[in-house]
Amino acid sequence: MIDGGPVIDFHGHVGRWDTVGMVDDPATMLRAMDRVGIDRSCVFDIFHPDGTRGNDRTAAFVALNPERFVGFAYVSPLMADRVVPELERAVDDLGFRAVKLYPPYTPYPLNDPIWDPVYEFANDRGLAVLSHTDTSEQSQPGLLAQAAHRFPKARFVAGHSGNIEPARGQAIAAAQRCPNFYLETCSTYRSPGVIEELVREAGADRVLFGSDTPLMDPRAQIGKIITADLTDEEKRMVLGGNAIRLLGL
Amino acid sequence: MECVGEIAQKDLFRLHEDSLIFSARVPVFDANVGVGHRHDRPATFESAADLLKEMDRHGVERALIYPVQGESISSIDGNQALKAWLGDDRLSPQWMLGTDGDSLSRLRELRSGGHVTCVRLHDAGARVPLVEWVYGESLDWLSAEGIPLWISLVDAEAREVVELLRHFPDLDVALLGAHYVHASLVRGMLRELPRARLELSRYEVLGDAEALVQEFGAGRFLYGSYYPRYAMGPMLYYLHQLDFTEAELAAVCAGNLEGLLGEGPKT
Repeated sequence: MIDGGPVIDFHGHVGRWDTVGMVDDPATMLRAMDRVGIDRSCVFDIFHPDGTRGNDRTAAFVALNPERFVGFAYVSPLMADRVVPELERAVDDLGFRAVKLYPPYTPYPLNDPIWDPVYEFANDRGLAVLSHTDTSEQSQPGLLAQAAHRFPKARFVAGHSGNIEPARGQAIAAAQRCPNFYLETCSTYRSPGVIEELVREAGADRVLFGSDTPLMDPRAQIGKIITADLTDEEKRMVLGGNAIRLLGL
Repeated sequence: MECVGEIAQKDLFRLHEDSLIFSARVPVFDANVGVGHRHDRPATFESAADLLKEMDRHGVERALIYPVQGESISSIDGNQALKAWLGDDRLSPQWMLGTDGDSLSRLRELRSGGHVTCVRLHDAGARVPLVEWVYGESLDWLSAEGIPLWISLVDAEAREVVELLRHFPDLDVALLGAHYVHASLVRGMLRELPRARLELSRYEVLGDAEALVQEFGAGRFLYGSYYPRYAMGPMLYYLHQLDFTEAELAAVCAGNLEGLLGEGPKT
């Protein structure tokens, strides 16, 4: 909690990425969360295309501190026949609350029909889909917006809000066009005024705080929200109010 | 194991600030602020007054400013433009060193006028290798004069930086803009270059700033924002949330930079 308001980190990882110093040590992650008042962090493992191995690791990680971490299901169209069964297992058996996609690990743009089973599943269940977005051919927010238009009962979240221009502009335009499209804030690019722009253009109710922990320290990423020129109420919505609503926490 | 006194002191700092508003609680001297419009990236502010206003918003007392025009177009034009930004005591100049032969002679002139306390080297776009046979004369001069050098890791290969600076063991250096892609490199760089300081504007690997300070001492680290390429507030907020003592926080936020510039004890 910060100033009486809940804080949910919408973007975190399970697993190791050693060359960039990413280690999913729960104690280190919790210490950073506690220091800045983060109540819960949403986590997923994107390193295993079968989905199962990573989702099992995520479940085990969440089980250590179930009141502090929320699991998201990861699936990949690289092993397309496993997508729906794995989503069913992850949501129904493991209790995961949303779906994570990472198109840079595939050759498929987000509007390729190969992703449709994921979108249909989320649409049927009313789930959120958090996808990495950036300027690359596979991951442009405008492509995710096409899915948002076709699957109105699912909620689509542009991870990193496209990261940089022109993808960030696409993400904002998608949020303006699609009522089920949201913008998530974590990014190594911390251009001045970006958080303010997201809130001003998309609305405070459509922006979600995320950190990319443990790749990036949530204490730095939450600093983008705290030091932004926003009202206290806008900050509360971005920091946690919107995520609670989206995930049904 | 920590002693009781240390636990009591650190526990105070461990409490998160529980506030939606932030302002620095120690004096802050930003080691990395660019001024002017870059050829491919207009700035978010046009004047020293605008910059000072942003500094005030976050509780930043002073800033070391360099001309972004010198990053990849012209250090000489950039240094000329920098003069227009000076006049307020809160803004200290950082002059650019370029590859042009005229660049060093002009820096020498500025130095003789008492205006040079540090120099910055960028190589963005020029693709000039960071090697001794290109920069040797300039770095010899900096070493002899006791002028510290800033080098951006955003633009330079870490291997070239280390290999070059090994030739100048008396030169104080600030390494700017380390990123998580440098996570496997920063310890080696700090060990290989004992007079190097690491500026933290982009370094947000979970828990690693604290680990680095434990391993190398707070004297090896500097707060810089890299404003306006990056927002000024987030990393300053971050430093305030780390498990630093107040003395370590004050050193990273201002004291170490003052020492490098000859305004206080060198760390």
